[in-house]
Amino acid sequence: MPIHEKSLIRPENLHTHDELVIDGVDVSGHWSTFIESRVVSDYNEALEDEIAALPGGEQIHRCWQCGSCTNSCTVNAINADFNPRYWIYLIRMGMESELLRDKDIIWQCVSCNKCTYACPRDVFPEGVMKATAHWLERRGHTPKSPSMHFDEVFTEQIVKTGKIEESRTIRRFFARTKQSLMQPWMIEMVKKMLSGLPVGLLTRMGLATLVAPKTSDWSRASAAIQEFIDEQHEQQEQALNLARLAKSPPQKDAA
Amino acid sequence: MTDTNGKYKKVAYYPGCALEGTGHAYNRSTKAVGKKLGLDLVEVENWNCCGAMEVKNIDPKIQTYLSSRVMSVAANEMDMDVVMAPCNGCYHNLKKAEYDLENDDASVEVVDKLSKKAGHKTYEAGQVETIHALDWIKESIGEEGLKERVKNSLSGLKVANYYGCMYTRPRHIFPEKDQGSGSESTSKPHFMDDLLAAAGAENVDFPLKTACCGGAHTLSDSDTSTKLVLNILKAAKLAGADVIATECPTCHTGLEMHQIRAEKMLGETVDVKIMYFTQLLGVALGLKPRKVGVHENISKSMPLLREHGLA
Repeated sequence: MPIHEKSLIRPENLHTHDELVIDGVDVSGHWSTFIESRVVSDYNEALEDEIAALPGGEQIHRCWQCGSCTNSCTVNAINADFNPRYWIYLIRMGMESELLRDKDIIWQCVSCNKCTYACPRDVFPEGVMKATAHWLERRGHTPKSPSMHFDEVFTEQIVKTGKIEESRTIRRFFARTKQSLMQPWMIEMVKKMLSGLPVGLLTRMGLATLVAPKTSDWSRASAAIQEFIDEQHEQQEQALNLARLAKSPPQKDAA
Repeated sequence: MTDTNGKYKKVAYYPGCALEGTGHAYNRSTKAVGKKLGLDLVEVENWNCCGAMEVKNIDPKIQTYLSSRVMSVAANEMDMDVVMAPCNGCYHNLKKAEYDLENDDASVEVVDKLSKKAGHKTYEAGQVETIHALDWIKESIGEEGLKERVKNSLSGLKVANYYGCMYTRPRHIFPEKDQGSGSESTSKPHFMDDLLAAAGAENVDFPLKTACCGGAHTLSDSDTSTKLVLNILKAAKLAGADVIATECPTCHTGLEMHQIRAEKMLGETVDVKIMYFTQLLGVALGLKPRKVGVHENISKSMPLLREHGLA
C-alpha cells in the first residue's frame, strides 16, 4: 500500500453499517465497511525547504523511503505512532496537516542514532527529527517541549561558564518547566546517593552548587558563541519568513 | 609484564563535566586503575564542556567548536597526541568534531572563526587521536597483560556488558572500528567483554549491549526513559547477570535512577547491580572497593562483591 493512503485509514474515516442489505444481499457488519474518500488540497510546498533550513534537516531531500529509520527506531518500539520515515515522507510531500496530527510526539526522539546508523542515504534522520521539532515550535504549532527547555538551560550554562554543574542545570530545568523537584523517586535516589558518599565529596559537591565550576578566560569564547547562535537564529528566522517575530532562543540570564 | 601500545602510556585525560558530578566514581576508578597499571594521565588544562547531547540541538557547529577547543588545548598547549575520554558523550563529540573538521569545510570555517575570536589556536583535524577508556586499557595493556596483573579474579561473577549508544553510533565517526579481526565492532562491540573476561568475569549473552537508555531525555521525558531502562535491566537479569558493567556516566546514572523510578512509579523491581567497568577492573587488580568508589554508587554492590570474596 502506498504510504500516503495510510492517512486515509483512520478510525474516523471508516464506516460500517450494522444492518445493511444491498440488492437483496446482506452486507451487515464488516461486509459493508468502506473508507471515506478525501481530497488533499492543503499542500505546503515550502515545508521541505523550511525543515532543510534548520540544523539537522539539511539532508532530508536524500530520502528514498526505505524505512530503515523507523525499523531501527528506539521510540517506535515503544510507540508505533513514532514514525520517522512517515514524517519524512509527509514533509517532502508538503502534507503539513497530516504531520500536525503527530506534532506532540516528534520531540520525543532520544537521539540514539540507530536511524542515522542504518540509513543507507545519509539523511541523518535524527537531525531531521530535531529540525522538525524546532520547526513545530518556531511556527507556534507546539509549545516549547521539555527537551527544548533542557537544551536551552544546558546551553546557556555552557555559553556562560564553559562547563556544566549538574545540580544547577537540574534545578533550573525543573523551575523552568514548573515541576516540583520533590518527586518521590527523586527523593529516594538522593537519599541512596547521599548514604554512600564520603564527607569530603559531599562538601565538594555542595560547594559546586554555590560556586559553579568555570573554564577560565572564557569570556571571549562565550561572546563569540553567543554571537554565532544569534546570527544563525536570525538566518533561520528569515528562511522561515519569521524575521519580524525574531527573538533569540537561548535567553541570556544568570547561570 | 606484557604491554602492547606504548603510544597510550601517557595520554591527555579529558574527564568532562559528568565525571566531576554524578559520575565521580567513574573518574575516581579510571584514575585508580590507570595508576595501578602504570599508565600516565595528564588532565587537559582548563577544559570546557564538549557540548554533551544538548548543545547540538541549539546549534551543531557550536558543539563542534566546543569539542575542538578541548583538542586544541591538548595538541597546541600541552603537546599531546592522544586524548582519552572515559565518558561516551565526550568521546563521541570529540570524534564527531574530528570527523566534521576532516570532511566538512563549513565546520572548519566556523571553528576557525570562533577559535580566533576566543583567542586560541584553531584545532586542525589529525592533531590528536581521541580514544575511549576501553581503547586505552585494551591497547596499552591488553588482555594478556591484564591476566598477568589480576590479583582477585572476578571468577563466578556474571556480567552484562552495556555499551550504550554513543560509543558506536553513528558508525561514520569511528573510522577505526569495523576493521575486522582485533578491531572494535559497532554492531557487536566487545572491548569491555574482552577486558572483563581477562579479569576473570563470566560475560553473559546480553542482547541489549547497544540499546538506548533514553539518557538524552532522562529528565525531560522520564516515562520513556524508565521504559527503556526497564528493558535493559530485565534483559540483563534474564541473561543471568549479577551486575551490569557500564562505560558511560549518563548510561550509568540513567540505569540507577530509572531502576529506582521503576520501583517507585511502576512497582517493578529488577535486582541487578550496576557498576562502572573500571570499578570491576580495579577490584580485580587488587584495589579496595572504596578506592574505586563502589560506595559512591546508588546501586549498592558491596554485598555482591563480598559474596564473591572481592571485598
